[in-house]
Formats: sequence, structure tokens, C-alpha cells
Amino acid sequence: MSSSSKLLHQGPVEIDRARRAARPSRGVRVDGVDAVRVALWCVVTAVILLPLGALLVLAFSQNRLPLLLTGDVAQAGLNSVVSASVSALFAVVIGTAIALLLDRSDLPGRRVLRLFALSPLLVPPFVGAIAWIGIIGPAAPVNALWTHWFGSPLWNIYGGDGVVFLLTVHSYPVAYIIIAAALRRVPSDLEQAARIGGASAGRAVRHITVPLLRPAFLSAFTLIAVSNLADFGIPAIIGLPERYVTLSTLVYRYIQSGTVADPLQVVATVGAILMLGAVVAMIVDVLAARSNWELDASASPTQLLQLGRWRVATTAITWGGLLALTVLPLLALVSQALLPAPGIPLTWQNLTLDNLKRATTSPSALAGAGNSVMLSVFAGVICTVLGLAIGTLVTRTRARSNGMLRAVAMLPQALPGLVIAVSWLIIAPRIGLFNTPWLILCAYVMAFIALVVQSVSAPLRSTPLAAEEAARASGASRLRALLDISWRMAIPAAIAGGTLVVLTAVRELTISVLLLAPGAQTLGVTIFNLQQAGSYNAASALSLVVTVLGLAGLGLTARQSRR
Amino acid sequence: MSLRKSLAPVAAFALIGIALTGCGAAADASTAIANEATITLYTSEPQEKIDAVVSAFNVDHPEITVEVFRAGTGDLTARIESERVSGDVQADILLAADAGTFERYKTDDLLLAYSPADVESLDQDVVDPDGFYVGTRIIPTVIAYNTNLVTAPPTSWQDLTDASYAGTITMPNPDVSGAAAYNAAVWSDSAELGDTWLQELAANQPIIAESNGPVSQAVASGTSSVGIVVDYLARELKSAGSPIDLVYPSEGVPYVSQPVGIFASTDEQAASEAFVDFLVSEAGQTLAVSQSYLPVRSDVGTPDGAPSMDDITIITPDLTVISEIQAAAVARFNELFQ
Repeated sequence: MSSSSKLLHQGPVEIDRARRAARPSRGVRVDGVDAVRVALWCVVTAVILLPLGALLVLAFSQNRLPLLLTGDVAQAGLNSVVSASVSALFAVVIGTAIALLLDRSDLPGRRVLRLFALSPLLVPPFVGAIAWIGIIGPAAPVNALWTHWFGSPLWNIYGGDGVVFLLTVHSYPVAYIIIAAALRRVPSDLEQAARIGGASAGRAVRHITVPLLRPAFLSAFTLIAVSNLADFGIPAIIGLPERYVTLSTLVYRYIQSGTVADPLQVVATVGAILMLGAVVAMIVDVLAARSNWELDASASPTQLLQLGRWRVATTAITWGGLLALTVLPLLALVSQALLPAPGIPLTWQNLTLDNLKRATTSPSALAGAGNSVMLSVFAGVICTVLGLAIGTLVTRTRARSNGMLRAVAMLPQALPGLVIAVSWLIIAPRIGLFNTPWLILCAYVMAFIALVVQSVSAPLRSTPLAAEEAARASGASRLRALLDISWRMAIPAAIAGGTLVVLTAVRELTISVLLLAPGAQTLGVTIFNLQQAGSYNAASALSLVVTVLGLAGLGLTARQSRR
Repeated sequence: MSLRKSLAPVAAFALIGIALTGCGAAADASTAIANEATITLYTSEPQEKIDAVVSAFNVDHPEITVEVFRAGTGDLTARIESERVSGDVQADILLAADAGTFERYKTDDLLLAYSPADVESLDQDVVDPDGFYVGTRIIPTVIAYNTNLVTAPPTSWQDLTDASYAGTITMPNPDVSGAAAYNAAVWSDSAELGDTWLQELAANQPIIAESNGPVSQAVASGTSSVGIVVDYLARELKSAGSPIDLVYPSEGVPYVSQPVGIFASTDEQAASEAFVDFLVSEAGQTLAVSQSYLPVRSDVGTPDGAPSMDDITIITPDLTVISEIQAAAVARFNELFQ
């Protein structure tokens, strides 16, 4: 709380200083830019610092640590840490392998494979979980066949190992993106030097390239581990049936079923600990980035790694693996959506469009879709405006508080959705938003504003300030220059960021399931509830619709932006 | 010009809309309340079923908007509890699993006394004698089995304790399912079954699924060969073609009546009463039968494939006893099974 009140004062201090500086030369005039800055500080305080402050206050108002160290919470915490770190480790290993194969080797079909490799990113994790149950759940085709041939099922996806598997599937693309970006900065000259010195191709990769990628490994690992630490959909759908409870599912149970006394405070303590973990991870990441060394860009074209006699085997494994990870879940969703009820064999006569018809016309699905679209569009618009203002202000003006403002706006991105939801839940009754959809909107804005700030500041930082200076020289005020030049320049980036916000929010589950209120059921929650109630075929049908629409939407946006 | 053109159909629609609402209101004025109202319903009904109920209700009462909040009974009671702490209950109506919960709310003065129209033609076992709530469906818990995996199905609760069923039974979690919580109390209260039977059943290590839905899915898909589950889910899957069938155990079946009650804090008493009336009316109960439920009135038949009510042995315990021992019974269940 003390930190937030300190930040509250920072705005007025700025104004005073600006006034004092301005007074001697131009008389009393409140600069428009300073007014904007104060206004933005007020907004981020209300939307970001206030809820987090309330969370910390509630968490530390009473010592709940003994409760956390015993029994259920400790076990759930252990499960969360283990599943998050093991899946992050696997994700980094797989991401590295894919990056080396697709960006550095002569594997055939690399361009197409790259699209396949990134596709799990486009499917919401809980939809992935529903799909994979259809592939290797206890009654799914793989296990049914295996039981038929060998007498016992191959592997049951439910439980801790399934959670790790699915978290890995849904996070390796992030590792691939980070590592591929780092790999592009490693000049192949170094590898070539090693090859000339007599090292084999594999040896050159192991001893030259991989050590240079270490900071990227660390940053990918922390990013993925933190986001997996509080994923809700996968552990709820895959873990709970086998009583594999993680922190996010435990918090959900506590809040929904009230199985513990004073649930909000226990949950706040869990949230505070997760928040500290996220902050530590952020610091680790910043330190890792600092120790990153700059390599001179190579002038020579990248030398591709010759796979030689391993080429055929590697090609088969990569294609097979990536196709299995992308196409199989989609097929599973299709087959589950087309079957009328469980236990009915998959034959042509048995297929029906009833589930799909019901999924797209049922009032609850339509209401859920309506709520999701409304909330995500509002969140997108608000985030675009705020993100544009914050992004341009912190990159195009000079003030000591800029760094702080940017850090506060970026902070929620490092926080698990669970922490964000719980902190809004705590202040909801006091701000009169309890049990309303607007609570979800507030949480969405807090969670996703960083997406726009990031996308606005990246291109702005690389353009020189010359245009603004010209405007100022021609007599425009600071605010005028900011509005006419900087904002205009940043609007395309802000809209791109806002679109990303809409696409992320429209299929969100963790926040909306915890802030669930009558009349505020989102699409994600609708699918999750169908799955929880045991309507697997209906859940699959709705998931299929969402996935196909999502892929189509993203494909269109990508095509549009390429033009 | 183009603006005026595009506005024309909108204006036409608006006129038709006004005319229609006018007619609707005029027609309703004679039968029920004509005022626009929005009521909030907390329910544990499956989403598809409650959606159908609300749209059928809206045929007669287009002026009443029903906002549905669906969750398991355990989740609903927790929600109501937390809303009581921070103010008023947000719901106008609760339509959820067992009479025990309603008995508790009745003692806490949370409910409004209301006997629906036509209450005398209902099964009197499900009507609260004090008039605070009324049952809307008979939902017995039965034994379901996968017809591909089981050739000689169990016929009694006692059969399930046979060692041959070890590891093959799935049942719902009483923390989530109101019916399961009620069953735990009825079983432990039963002279014939009691704690001994629960212990013997626990020795067969049943799998505890979250709620009744996943239990029926597990049996239908063959993950589990036997399930303890509410009858309508099994019947529904059977009629959809799944390899599943059900047995009403010989000792008798415990049942919940999915009661409905109006919260005393409601602002929309008339609209809430209209909804309760509809649930137990002939039309509402015919709809329930088409949704595979056993009805609470005798003039609407029974679902396809369901036995006649007279052929089922039903356990009807003393509800005050059940609501007293339920919490302890659930705790005992969790101790034995989880």
C-alpha cells in the first residue's frame, strides 16, 4: 500500500516541477502533457496498483502462512511448481530443437512446418485439453485400440503427467519464438570457424551455438514457468479427475465451493506468494537480459546445418511429431463433435451434425459468445487508447517517472491471471462491481494493457524525435506535438495491439471463471461448464467452432497486416 | 438518401416491435403480470435443459427475462453464503438439488412462503408442508452399467460391495453434487445399509468423479463399467444410443426433488411466482418428462423407457433428520472415499 501511495504523489510532484520550471519564462500555464501524465497515473493507479495493493494488504493483514505450509495448499503449491517447471523445461528443449531444425538446418518443408509448429499458440489451452482427452483419454481411440491389442491401456492423460504434457504442448511455441529470435542474432561465422577447425556439425552446434543461446533459454524458461504456474484450464480439465490439484484449481474450488473458512484471505495469500514469484522471475529475466552480449551481425548468409545421413529420419520425426501435435487434436474435436453420445463407435452412419447445430444455436452459447465479444471489444478499445497514451508518453517525452509508468503498465503481463482475478474479487464489493460483468472488463484491461504498450513503444523507439521537434519549432505546444505527431505515428501499432487484446480476451478462461457472475458467463466459461457437467460432445462441438473461427480470424488478420 | 433508405427497415421493425409488445401485453394482462421484469435464477439444472425451460416459460411470459446462473449445488450454496455475508442474496429463485438445503434456508428465514397454483395436484411428498418450497422433478439415484462390459448387472446396493466390482465403480463427489450429498446422508441413515455398507463399498475403491455428468459419461464411454448416478442422465444417454442401461436397486432408491423456492429478498415477487407456477404446471411438467425427468404430477406420464412410479421402491426418509446429519455424512463419506 505504501508503494502505491508514494506513486500517487509522483504525478503532482511532476506538475509542480514543470510549473516551477515554466514560471520564470512564460508565466503560469499547466502544460497539457503534464496533465495527460497525471491522468494516466491516476488510471494505472486505479486499474493496476489499487487491486494489487488490496491483495497485498489482505494477504498480510493476518498471518496465514502456517495454513499454507500444511496440507492441501502445500501439496497444490508443490504440484504447481513441479508441473510448471518441468513443462517449461520440456518446452525449452523442444523449442530449441525446433528452432535449430527449422531455422538452421536443411530440413525439407521448413516454411510449412513453422506454421504447424506455432499453431498450438492459437488454440486456447482448455480447448487443447478437451481435444487431447479425445485422443488419449481413458476411452479414446488410442487407448481403446491398445487395450484391444495388448490388454491394457497405453497411457491415461488424466493426472499430473497429462498436465505436464499439455502445458508443454501449449508453451513450446513461445520457447521456439524466443529462441529462434536469439538464434537469428548468432552469426553462423562462429559455427563455420569451428567446422573449419575440424569440428563435426553436431559438435559445432553443441559447443558454439547452444552456449550462446543460454540467456534466451533462461528467459524462455522463466516466462513459460510463470505463465504455466497459474494456468487454470489444463489442470482443471486434466488434473482434477485424478485429484491432481494445483494452486489455480485449488483457488477456484475455495472460491466456488467455500470449502475453507475465510476463502478470500487464504486465496489472497496464495496470490501474494504467486505475485512475489512472478516479480522474482521478472528480475531474473532483466538480469539475464543485462548479461546478454551483443554479437556483430554477420555479413555472410546463414550457413544451413547439413543433416546428411540423418536427414530422412529427422524429417520423418519432425513432420510426424508436429502433425500429431496440430492435426490430431483438431480431428479429435471433429469426431467428438460429430458423435451423438459417448460409447458410440465412430462409423459414417453414426455421425450427426446435431451437436454442432445445438452448440451454435443454444441460448447459453449465444449469450456466452455475446458476453465474450462485448467484453473483449470494450477491453480492446480501452487498452488501445490507454496503451497508445502510455506508450507514446513514455517513449516520446522525457520525464523521470516514465520508466516507472512503463514498469507499472507492464507489470500485469508478468502476473498470473489468477492473481489479477483474485485482486479484483477483493475490491469488487467496495467499488460496487460485485457480481457484474464490468468486474471482468476491469480485470481484462489490467491483464492486457501491456500488449498495447509493448506494441506501441517498440516501433516508436526506433524512430527519431525529429518530427516532434519540427512541430515544436513551428510553434506547436508539447501536447499538440504529442497528439499530432507521436499518436498519429503510433495508431497503426496501437490498433494491432488492440486487436491482439480482443483475440486474447475473447477466449479467456482463468479470469472470467473466477469472476463469474449471473449474466456474465463468457464463451470460455460456457465451454468449461459443459465439460465439467459431463457434456463432452457438446463441449467439443463448441470448442471446434471457437477453434475454427479463431484460426480463420487470425489468418485474416495476418493476411491483412501483410498487405 | 442512402441513410434514409437504410433507416426505413429499422423504423418498420421498430413499429412492428412496438405493436407486438403492445399486443403481448394486452393478451397477458388478463392472465398474469404485464410488467417487464428481470429475475435471476440460480440453478443446478444442466444448461441445455434450463435453457429449454426458460424459452418455454417465455412463450407464456415474454415480458419476464430470466437470467440464469448455473453451477453445482455446492457452488451455489457457497455463492449464496458469500452474498449473504456481503449483503442480499442476488438471486430471486433457487432451483437446485435437495430439500435439505431448502430446510436450512427456511430456518434462516431466507425464503418467501409461496404455494404454487395447482399445488394440490402435485405429489405431496415433494411439497413443503410449511409452503416455502416445492419439488419440481423426482430424481432417483440408480446403478448404471455399460452394456458392453457388464453381462450380469448388479441388482441391489449390496451387490456393489462384491469384490468383483473393485476399481470398476464411479460415483459423484458430494462436495459438488447436491444429490450425492443427500444420498450420503440417506445411505448412512438407512438401517439396511448404513455405515457398514459405506465401508464395504469404500473397500472396492470407487472412483469419485466431480459430478453426475462425468459419471454417466464414464459409464457410457466404457471408462468405468458401473456408475452410481442420477437416473435421467443414464436414460438420456441410452436413448441417444450409448451402450448404457440402468437398474433401480432392490433396497430402494434415494431421490432428490430439485425443489424451487423464492428468496425473501426478491424485488420481483410476482414474476418469480409466475416462474415457480410454470415449473410445476402441466406444461412445465410435460417438458420435464420430455427431458427424461420423472415428474411430480401424475397427469403427464413418464419418460420413454422409465418404469412407472409404482414399480420403483423409493426411500422417503425424515427430511429434518437428513438435513441434520447431512454435513456429518458428507464428512464421513470424504473420509472413507477420498
